[in-house]
Amino acid sequence: MADSKKMSVAEILAACRKVDGGASDSSETPSSAAPAESSGQAESSAPAKAEAAEESSKPAAPKPAAPKPAIAQPGAMSTADILAAARGAKPAGAAGAKPAAGAKPAAKSPGAMSTADILAAARAGKGDKGESPAAGEAPRPKASPKAAPAPKPAAAKTQEAAGKTAPVSKADGPKDTASILAAVRQGAKPGPVSKSDLAGRPAVETPARPAKAKVEVPPMPAKPEYARAPQPQRAGEGEPRRGFLAAFFGVLIASPLAIGFSSLAVTHLLWALGLARFMFPNILTEPPTRFRVGFPDEYAPGQVEEKFKAQFGVWIVRYEFEGQSQIFALKTVCTHLGCTPNWLDGEQKFKCPCHGSGFYKDGINFEGPAPRPLERYAIQVADDGQLEVDKSQKFQQELGQWTDPASFVPV
Amino acid sequence: MHGHVSEPEFLEQISGFLGVYYLTLATMNGIAAYYLWQSKRSAVLFRVGKNQFTTATLWLAVSVVFLFLAPIAMSGDPQWMRLASIPQPLRDLADFLMGPVVYTVGTMVVLLLMFLAREFFVKPVVAWGLLNLSLLLMGLSITDVDFAAIVTKPDNVPIVGLVFLLGFFTWLATYRAVENDKRKERGEPSLEALNNEKILVWPDLVYTELICMVALTAFLLLWAIGLQAPLEEPASSVKTPNPSKAPWYFLGLQEMLVYFDPWMAGVVLPSLVIFGLMAIPFLDYNKAGNGYYTIKERMFAYLTFQFGFLVLWITLIVMGTFLRGPNWNFFGVYETWDTHKVEALNNVDLSEYFWIYLLGQARPQAPAGSATATKLAFILYREAPGIIALLLYFIVVPPALVLYSKFFRRLFAHMGFIRYMVMANLLLMMALLPIKMIFRWSPLNMKYFIAIPEYLTNL
Repeated sequence: MADSKKMSVAEILAACRKVDGGASDSSETPSSAAPAESSGQAESSAPAKAEAAEESSKPAAPKPAAPKPAIAQPGAMSTADILAAARGAKPAGAAGAKPAAGAKPAAKSPGAMSTADILAAARAGKGDKGESPAAGEAPRPKASPKAAPAPKPAAAKTQEAAGKTAPVSKADGPKDTASILAAVRQGAKPGPVSKSDLAGRPAVETPARPAKAKVEVPPMPAKPEYARAPQPQRAGEGEPRRGFLAAFFGVLIASPLAIGFSSLAVTHLLWALGLARFMFPNILTEPPTRFRVGFPDEYAPGQVEEKFKAQFGVWIVRYEFEGQSQIFALKTVCTHLGCTPNWLDGEQKFKCPCHGSGFYKDGINFEGPAPRPLERYAIQVADDGQLEVDKSQKFQQELGQWTDPASFVPV
Repeated sequence: MHGHVSEPEFLEQISGFLGVYYLTLATMNGIAAYYLWQSKRSAVLFRVGKNQFTTATLWLAVSVVFLFLAPIAMSGDPQWMRLASIPQPLRDLADFLMGPVVYTVGTMVVLLLMFLAREFFVKPVVAWGLLNLSLLLMGLSITDVDFAAIVTKPDNVPIVGLVFLLGFFTWLATYRAVENDKRKERGEPSLEALNNEKILVWPDLVYTELICMVALTAFLLLWAIGLQAPLEEPASSVKTPNPSKAPWYFLGLQEMLVYFDPWMAGVVLPSLVIFGLMAIPFLDYNKAGNGYYTIKERMFAYLTFQFGFLVLWITLIVMGTFLRGPNWNFFGVYETWDTHKVEALNNVDLSEYFWIYLLGQARPQAPAGSATATKLAFILYREAPGIIALLLYFIVVPPALVLYSKFFRRLFAHMGFIRYMVMANLLLMMALLPIKMIFRWSPLNMKYFIAIPEYLTNL
């Protein structure tokens, strides 16, 4: 069956034309009664397929009509018509066709029929049916069998005929679309399949196989020039480098979309530049990192000066550290999680309100979770004799930085 | 912190609320008594002659007691109010006894007792009695200025609700679990299996949810109107509120931060909590307890969960809310928040204990100007006691449990090496928190097992 799919459109059309002819030919045989009708259908559908098969020169492949004939043929048949017709044609195909049209059993070879086949067969049967009453009126025989497709008037009758045949075929049992299609594909009767049917089937199918094997595929013609894959060209081989730049800028403004995206990119770039500029303001409203905190002799021994805490975040302490009396600047940030501790004069300690870390006056941690001492800022005596704190530098005790002379002023 | 109001004024203010409070309690007990009487569910407690003393009678009596307390509280008169409050000596005693150790160990012991005697505590009579008792204690305590200040602070009201709500749900689950365990022993199906009538999502469940949603929204609106969000002074980078408390649901974490380095308590341990919860489906091979409450069939899982939730999370939240005051000092519930309260603390690292106190020598220190690697080696040498102790804790304890505990041996056999070690190490991590707390509070005053401030590694 797969072979039949290789039929070109032209072949299919040709086959369709022949089918039309065959159908109209066979319709000349007078048949009016219901049984006769069914046998007539069988005859008509069988030759139609046979011819199609001859056309494609594949005995096992009755692939005649494809949808095309529907267009070429009398008006458009609705799907309902087609199905109804198929229902009518089927019993004939299954029971009547083989014995009756014994001449071409191979053409009816069951195998799997494609939907297209089924529809085509149905159409063929239908056209026949539609015309069989018409045959009584007898305008048809005049029509040239090959050249002219079925005339228009037939179409209207086809509809009527379809209406008539559908109820008749109903009597054969349950026929939903799926089962009909499946049944037609296997050349079996519609509806539930009995075991005996199943047993009979492989016997019918097997002869089809060797026939398939005989098929000789003609050698493919060479590909035409236009269909060949283009040779990949090396970059920069053909066009000059200068062209790239031009192409690049050309792309930027090539289309409205490109212009839109280009301007978007440019706008974003400008924003990014503006943001970068924002990071370096002309005026800093925050307090300077270097500031003077008065003369060393203003600090009494053991004093913790808190007045710079609010503005600069620093305590100035005059206290002993490692046996040396010194003035140093402690950063007012707890080394645990960064809260601001309070100086408790009564207890002589810095105490953090968040998790209860405590620090001695010299900044060494002694209670709570703070893992290390408070940090010191750089401090020195400025040229005017005042103490000057530099917040840009800090000293950590656990790193041994408090021995750095910049971290304290000895007194 | 609240010296603005004199005591008579304060009692005057609180009296209206307290009167309504007692009336509500009286009504609550009255309804309970009436319900028990009408539904004929009241059990006979004891008999005096011909007269039965039933649970309905008991709650009626309780209701009458509350009914008498209501006008006393409503009067607002200091003399009368004294009758309806806990005597001052008792309050002082409670403050004196209440410390971090007493609180934490005490809660653990109480929870353990309640767990062991759960068949007694889940009895509706006992549970309702405990509820009444705690509500009465609250009513009697709220005449204390400091207690009222801490309990009625808008921030803290949810925690009061949380305590009661959690108590209720824990009771409900335990009650059903105890009942199911008994039924299992008798070979009967669980309560949940008995009542498994299925209902439709639409409309039954969706309607219920909708009604709950609307009711909750209305409740939240009323709450927001009734209890104003506290408006504090403008923020300042150099002034931290004292005490500075996290949102209530993070108070457990904040309490953890007191005992660990911020990096540990703020990042590692919370991640481990999430990782551990995610690992549960891979570690838990016990398929029992699916769709019904049970304790006996899932003893290990139940205890682990309740320890992690009730002890390590809820009690820490309650502690952070009610018992932590200025400078993160510990205050009793009847104690005035004194900013200048001095707690003599001097925390010492393990390495100091080892080198200075035990060996009587200075802690090893790299000679000045040595290379970074040398410094690091000296630091590790200095902290060796703590490092070795922790490694032993995590490596030696799990196999030791297998060797010496039948239960853990069974776990190991079921889970295999890797799963068992993951489970055991997660458990040990969990246990590390209370262990660390106890080491901090004990006279040892242990600060960190491993203290490497140079590299922000403190454990």
